[in-house]
Amino acid sequence: MKRLGAPGFFRCLWMIPLFFGIGVGIMAIVRYLEGWDPVWLNEVAVTTALVTIPFGFLAGIGAFDYWARYAIGQPTEPEDHSGHGARSWRDYFRVNTDHKVIGIQYIVTTFIFFLVGGLLAMIFRAELARSGSEVVDTQAFNGLVSVHASLLIFLFIVPVFAGIGNYVIPLMIGAPDMAFPRLNALSFWLLPVAGVMMLSSFLVPGGAFASGWTCYAPLCTDQPLGSVFFNMGVQWAGTSSIMTALNFLVTIITMRAPGMTFWRMPLLVWANLTTSMLVVLATPFIAGSQFFAMFDRVLHTNFFVADEGGYPLGYQHIFWFYSHPAVYIMLLPGFGIISEVISTFSRKPIFGYRLMALSLVAILFLGFSVWAHHMFIAGIAPWLRIPMMVTTLLIAVPTGIKVFSWLATMWQGRIHFKTPMLWAVGFIAMFLIGGLSGIYLGTVPVDVHASDTYYIVAHIHYVLYGGSVFTIFAGIYYWFPKMTGRMYSERLGKWHFWLTFVAFNMTFFPMHYIGLHGMPRRVADYAPQFENWNLFISISSFALGASMIIFLYNMITSWSRGPRAVANPWRAHSLEWQVSSPPPLFNFAEIPQIVGGPYEYGVPGARHAVFSDDGATKLEEVSSDAETEVRG
Amino acid sequence: MEAHAAEHDHAAHPPAANASSGVDARVLGMLLFIGSEIMLFGSFFTAYFFVRVVNGYPWPPPEDHLPVFVAGVNTVILVTSSFTMHWALQSIKRGNRAGLQAGLVLTLLMGTTFLLTQIAEYARVGFAPGDNAFATIFYCLTGLHGAHVFVGLTLLLFTAIRAFRGHYSPEHHHGVELSGIYWHFVDVMWIVVYTTVYII
Repeated sequence: MKRLGAPGFFRCLWMIPLFFGIGVGIMAIVRYLEGWDPVWLNEVAVTTALVTIPFGFLAGIGAFDYWARYAIGQPTEPEDHSGHGARSWRDYFRVNTDHKVIGIQYIVTTFIFFLVGGLLAMIFRAELARSGSEVVDTQAFNGLVSVHASLLIFLFIVPVFAGIGNYVIPLMIGAPDMAFPRLNALSFWLLPVAGVMMLSSFLVPGGAFASGWTCYAPLCTDQPLGSVFFNMGVQWAGTSSIMTALNFLVTIITMRAPGMTFWRMPLLVWANLTTSMLVVLATPFIAGSQFFAMFDRVLHTNFFVADEGGYPLGYQHIFWFYSHPAVYIMLLPGFGIISEVISTFSRKPIFGYRLMALSLVAILFLGFSVWAHHMFIAGIAPWLRIPMMVTTLLIAVPTGIKVFSWLATMWQGRIHFKTPMLWAVGFIAMFLIGGLSGIYLGTVPVDVHASDTYYIVAHIHYVLYGGSVFTIFAGIYYWFPKMTGRMYSERLGKWHFWLTFVAFNMTFFPMHYIGLHGMPRRVADYAPQFENWNLFISISSFALGASMIIFLYNMITSWSRGPRAVANPWRAHSLEWQVSSPPPLFNFAEIPQIVGGPYEYGVPGARHAVFSDDGATKLEEVSSDAETEVRG
Repeated sequence: MEAHAAEHDHAAHPPAANASSGVDARVLGMLLFIGSEIMLFGSFFTAYFFVRVVNGYPWPPPEDHLPVFVAGVNTVILVTSSFTMHWALQSIKRGNRAGLQAGLVLTLLMGTTFLLTQIAEYARVGFAPGDNAFATIFYCLTGLHGAHVFVGLTLLLFTAIRAFRGHYSPEHHHGVELSGIYWHFVDVMWIVVYTTVYII
């Protein structure tokens, strides 16, 4: 009985039905009073469930306990840190306020969704291996494609960066934790809610939401019930990312160590500062678009009903006003990771540090001015096309600055091709291809020709897989010793990289070709002349999927019994490497004093931070080590 | 994990974080949240813009009428509640607990009046969200704002409960300050909604 009252999964067992009951009760009363017939409608009850069950779950596991006590006027107890840190694996399955635990919770959860999303792709690649319909029917195919994209965007790439940032940022800026640890825990626990919601749409009548991850209205408002699972799943995931971003911003602005001015922050911190600004300002727009689409379906409103004065194209404008900045939400933190990795493994200061930071800010502003380039063929006002093309091409300038700065950082450096560095260099090459095809697509005439073909599929996968996912792997390998206290297998890591790199290119590069030859995207069946290429792509995609087995084997075995990692295996300068691996419960015994930039590799006498205790001597060793590697 | 735990025990308390900005973390968090909220309203106003300006839909259509006067009275009530909220905050800053309590109760009462008037207006306005695009935008903009009034009232209720149970002092009154900031935001937002939906 005691376990039913204490926060945890047992309490969810009755809290979820309670919240759901209250929700459908209100729903039924309103329907009865309004005289709507019938009072009980399954579709309305399911929609109510999607709103209330998450609250029941969060209340059950105890995400609201502190605030509930506050609300009823109980005294706020001094923090005893009982909810902080992990002493056994069980502590990862409860509401935990330690940013390091939350970071690992985030990363593991998002990788589970990565695997599931990837497996969905395996199913529809099997269908696409031959023309005709063999494995799934067309509605199921559309469902698989839509859930694949939604999971990987909203539950892998966006939140995994929040996970890495959660772990690393407080350490990098010399803070004991995030600014709002309880809010941090809440934003993590919203993620499994959103992911399970999107996946469970496969179980409802009519199948999963099938109008793509963009869920264009009014198409999606005529789809079966699964569509609402997308609308609400995005709301929960979006709430989570807004709260995390808010937390990052406040943490970075108010909790930096003494001496860490904005121009002494590592570029990963800069990247998360700008990304968080994008998230806070842009995400409400996707919330709006999903509210409108859902209201049109559930409340029969007329946002996108042209007959009643609605504006169908409005959905796309509002959706892309978030979802184009979202591309940068999914890339900027990766840029930050790459800057850390390239500088450390080239043993050279980052080239053009200030311009690197400012180009992030430039992308932040320009990112809001390009959304309609997704709509060149949608029937938008013709005068809007050219300005949007110009801003789209302009955004290549700050991005180009970053690419050239990474190359210049590597130039004449003493490059160590460890696994994270391989991923970083692979990222630059792949992102270059994705960026260049993006320039083609940004120009109106090419876009008109290539829209809705496999060229688009190739482009987005070069940007989000060859771009974002490669940076994620770079970051995971780079901070693996810090997070787990153990070393991964370098040999397996390299196998993983090369297999992924080759299979990735074999999968997605031919898509440029078949796309330009006219193969449309989002189709379960296609013209026979594309058959050979599609078979080749499907086989390559299975190899790409198989490369994940090496990664998982490496991560699991290394985490459980890999060799112990030293505090600073890469001899990096930033603060997270100056504490033990894994870091102590509150990160620092005493907050260090920052005295210089974070990337002064090979600069004689340069230091990033001074610790009052033994940390200082440790850092001195690092610096003198680095001095022996003065640039050639 | 066991070895990991052993290392932890020697540091039972975190070091105090360095305050690298003059802004209070909670106030900054609230302001950023309000920035996010403004963008949410922005997306609704974008939908308003599409229907009214781009599509040129009649506002209101000839058969529908908006209760401009009643809503105007309601506006006055909400604006007044911002002043009582400010009074509550100033009172606790000077250590005047009775002023804090009276200010919060008055704000709560006026906010509730506003919300009830809004519901009564929905019941009598004579059109439903599904009737046409004008009705959709009207209900969704005022409804979004109403939801924010509800959230603001909830926060004020928590603040009032704590104020009556003896919390807050001239030194520690962040709870009052934060719910106050949110309440002022809700108030200013209403003026924008009232102007765009009812007047122009």
